[in-house]
Amino acid sequence: MSDRLSVEKRLTLVKFVIHEEPHITIDPEKCDKCVEKYCTKVCPAGLYTLNEEGKVSFNYEGCFECGACRIACTHGSVKWSYPPGGYGVYLQFG
Amino acid sequence: MSEEKFDVIVIGGGPAGLSTAYFLAKKGLETLVIERGPELGAKNVFGGRIYSYFLDKYFDGWRNEAPIERWVRSERVSFLCKEDGVTIEYRKYDDIDGFDSFTAFLSKFVSWLGERVENEGASIIPGVKVEEIIFEDNVAKGVVAEGEKILADYVVVAEGVNTLLSEKYGFRRMHTPEAVAVGIKEVVKLGKNLINERFSVSDDEGVAQFFLGYPLNIVKGGGFLYTMKEYVTIGAVIKIEHARVGDTYMREIVEDLRMHPYIRRLLEGGTLVEYSAHLVSEEGFGGLLDKPYGGGYLIVGDAAGTLLNTGFTIRGVDFAMESGRLAAETIVNAHEKGDTSEEALSYYKKLLDESIVSKALRKFRNTPKFLSNERLYTTYPSMLCDVLRRIYTVDEMPIRAYEALKEATKDRVSLITLLKDLWAARGGI
Repeated sequence: MSDRLSVEKRLTLVKFVIHEEPHITIDPEKCDKCVEKYCTKVCPAGLYTLNEEGKVSFNYEGCFECGACRIACTHGSVKWSYPPGGYGVYLQFG
Repeated sequence: MSEEKFDVIVIGGGPAGLSTAYFLAKKGLETLVIERGPELGAKNVFGGRIYSYFLDKYFDGWRNEAPIERWVRSERVSFLCKEDGVTIEYRKYDDIDGFDSFTAFLSKFVSWLGERVENEGASIIPGVKVEEIIFEDNVAKGVVAEGEKILADYVVVAEGVNTLLSEKYGFRRMHTPEAVAVGIKEVVKLGKNLINERFSVSDDEGVAQFFLGYPLNIVKGGGFLYTMKEYVTIGAVIKIEHARVGDTYMREIVEDLRMHPYIRRLLEGGTLVEYSAHLVSEEGFGGLLDKPYGGGYLIVGDAAGTLLNTGFTIRGVDFAMESGRLAAETIVNAHEKGDTSEEALSYYKKLLDESIVSKALRKFRNTPKFLSNERLYTTYPSMLCDVLRRIYTVDEMPIRAYEALKEATKDRVSLITLLKDLWAARGGI
């Protein structure tokens, strides 16, 4: 396989059981003050993105529950928990 | 409210939690494993290898029933540069002994382990998340899961590397960005025949391979590759402190690795079937909890910091399972006396200290520092390529190895630094 795949494409290969409530939330006030925006770099699923105004937006669907964003954030902006039992990422080849 | 009461509740159905439950159930203790994933294995991720000695010791007949992908007969380390690379292979041929590690999918392995645990009489409920541990007079008495109380004499915390519950109750502090790495993994379906041909192995033989250098030099990380029966797993492990700075996105770095000409050739014709990520402890001995116990509870596996990276081998599943076995032994002892006190459970710490887990972590206590030397990921792989490129690129007049080394070292690293790093390797790896 010689083609590079976008993260969006790769995420379509992963099974997720999405719960309606996000299991991770970010504090927009803290994120607005943040200059580093580490979350946008560390998330392996690329779920933290910068919108046109340069603000961080976050989508919990597609989360591997790895915890990298929680450790990387220096502002304590990431309120991190696991999805409710039975929900979230559902790996076959972990 | 449920009035059911168990002897032991284990929070988390990974290798450590299931091992604990296995040894508890063997001794007849009523054990409940609560797993948040929709089924066992759904949340587990690792690179791809398990060392067998632990299973040989305690799981009769496992070699005939466990989901073994391939026996690792080829150990490779590659130093990659942008357009060339150096690979060292240690290979076991034919009948040499030492079927001592195998590749696997952890998801499938824990699912098998779960069957063995249930065969011993323990109960496993997947799809349920533990929200709280119930404490009375500083002694754990059970858990709250989905709003329901479930009581037990002992609680075993096997929550893995994301230590949310442990932090909540002050068993440990949150990991720092220097203490953990993010491991990102891709699973490529290549088919048995292509794997056998490309990797020069027979049907049951497998490869375990590490990568240093390009493109992971940018983030000072390492890469891995394991051959399964029909699949190849490939991935990158990058410390959070390095992952979060610079211009590189972790979602792209693993693709950069897969696109390296060396790996591209190996995986040509394959299809990506899954993509995942998980945290990995990088702390070694420093990350092992000083006090993995308290009134009514014990902490096992990654949550207790049992993972060891020696620089050549990664001891994850076997050490996690051994810590579970020791926790079970502690509980069986205490349970006979009806004792749930902190003092009774401190026996776990004693067992752990005397065990291979703690001894090995202590033996390799300088390794994390050695492995955090940035030159291992940047300077040295490129230098190695450079030396061999100079030797093997023939332009009439041959070059002596020493000349090549001298040329490659120039502008890269001083002799003093080189000697210092070599000296550090003595205690480091």
